[in-house]
Amino acid sequence: MGQGVLDVDDNNFESEILKADKPALVDFWAPWCGPCKAIGPAIKELEETYGNSIVFARCNVDNSPNTPTQYSIRAIPTLILFQDGKVVDQVVGAVPKSHLEELVKKVL
Amino acid sequence: MHQDLYDVAIIGCGPAGLQAAIHAASKKAEVIVFGRARKSGLYKAHIANFCCYERPISGKDLLQAGRKQAESFDAAFVEEDVIETKNENNLFSLVTESGNTFTSRTLILCLGVTRKKLRVKGEKELVGRGVSYCVDCDANFYRGLDVAVVGNESAAAIGAVTLLSYAKTVYLICRELTITDTLYEKLKNSNVKIIKDTWVKEVIGTNEVEGVLLKNGEALKVNGIFVERGAKSALELAANLGVLFDTETVSFIEINKKQETNIPGLYAAGDITGQPWQIAKAVGEGCVAGIEAAEYAKKLAGD
Repeated sequence: MGQGVLDVDDNNFESEILKADKPALVDFWAPWCGPCKAIGPAIKELEETYGNSIVFARCNVDNSPNTPTQYSIRAIPTLILFQDGKVVDQVVGAVPKSHLEELVKKVL
Repeated sequence: MHQDLYDVAIIGCGPAGLQAAIHAASKKAEVIVFGRARKSGLYKAHIANFCCYERPISGKDLLQAGRKQAESFDAAFVEEDVIETKNENNLFSLVTESGNTFTSRTLILCLGVTRKKLRVKGEKELVGRGVSYCVDCDANFYRGLDVAVVGNESAAAIGAVTLLSYAKTVYLICRELTITDTLYEKLKNSNVKIIKDTWVKEVIGTNEVEGVLLKNGEALKVNGIFVERGAKSALELAANLGVLFDTETVSFIEINKKQETNIPGLYAAGDITGQPWQIAKAVGEGCVAGIEAAEYAKKLAGD
C-alpha cells in the first residue's frame, strides 16, 4: 500500500516526478473526461498494489497546460511512465487494468 | 411524450431496452425510450437460439414487435440519440441530439456495445498522436489546427460542431448521415466541411498524424482525426454520471443482481454489462431493470 494517488501540476512536476527517487506513473486527465473517470478505479487499485515501489500521480490538464504540451499529449487519458526523469513508455485511452499492470511492471 | 417528468428513461431500444420498457410501463410507470432500432446489433441478425422460437426469426421483426408491445403499455419512444446526461437532485436529465431535454426519476442504460475503431492502416500506430476517439476529451489539444471527424451518426455530427470552437478547419467524413433534421440544419449552417459518400482508407503520418487518405482518392491534410462512430459511448455518457466500470476491461458497467449500478436510480442491462452478448441475457436483465426502476421511481415519487 502506497501513499495514494498524488496530484501534480506544472509547478511541482519536476520535483515530484522527474527528480523522484522512484519510477512514476502519471495519469494526464481532466474532471469532465468520461474515459478518464472510468480508469480511475483501476489506477487506484494498482496504487494499492505497487504504490511502495512506484509513485502514482495524476496531472489535471486544465490546470497545468505546460506539462502536457511538453510531452506532446493530444488525448486524455494518457498515462506516461517515467524513470530517472525520462519517459519509459506510455499508453493512451481507457485501457484494461491488465494493460496498465504490464506497463507498471516495466520498471519493477 | 410532452410531460415534464418521467419515472423511467431508457437509453437504447434493443432487446434489453424494450423488455425494460415493457415491464416498467406495465407497472404503470411513465416510460420514455431513446434510440434508433436499426442500430441495435439485433436489427440485422437472425436468431436461432432464443427460447420458444423454433425457427430462425428476424431481429428486425422482433424489435418492431417489441416496440409495438411497449407502446401498447404506453411507453413513449424518441428516435434520437442522447448526447448528454446529468444527475442532479435525485433526477436524471438527458439532452437529445436535436437539443431537447428530458427529465426522469430513474435511468436504465441499454446502450449495447459498438465498435469504436476504424481498423485502417496508421490508426493504431497514431493513437494519442493525432488519432482520438473522444471529441469532448481532446478537442482542446487541437486549437488552431486542422482536423477531420469520421462517423455517420450523432456523435460525429455533434463532435464536428464542437470542434469548430477549437480547430481552424473541421472536416466531417461520412458515408451517409443518420441524424435528426434539427441536427442536420445546425451542421449545414455551420462551417463544418462535409465530405459525403466516402470513408477513411488510411491515416497518414510518421510521428504524428499528417493527413488522411479517403476511399474516393482524396487526401486531406489534417493534424488530427476524431473517430466518432455511432452514438456517444457508454464510457462518455455513463462515466460522466460517476458509474463504475469493471476495472479489468474498463468496457462494461458494473451491476448487482437488481441491475443497479453504484449510482442510486441508475440501472444497466444488456450487452453493456458484459458477455454473453445474447438476446436471452439482454431481455432477462431488461426485465429486472424495468421492474426495479419502476419501483424505485414510485418510492421516490411518494417521498
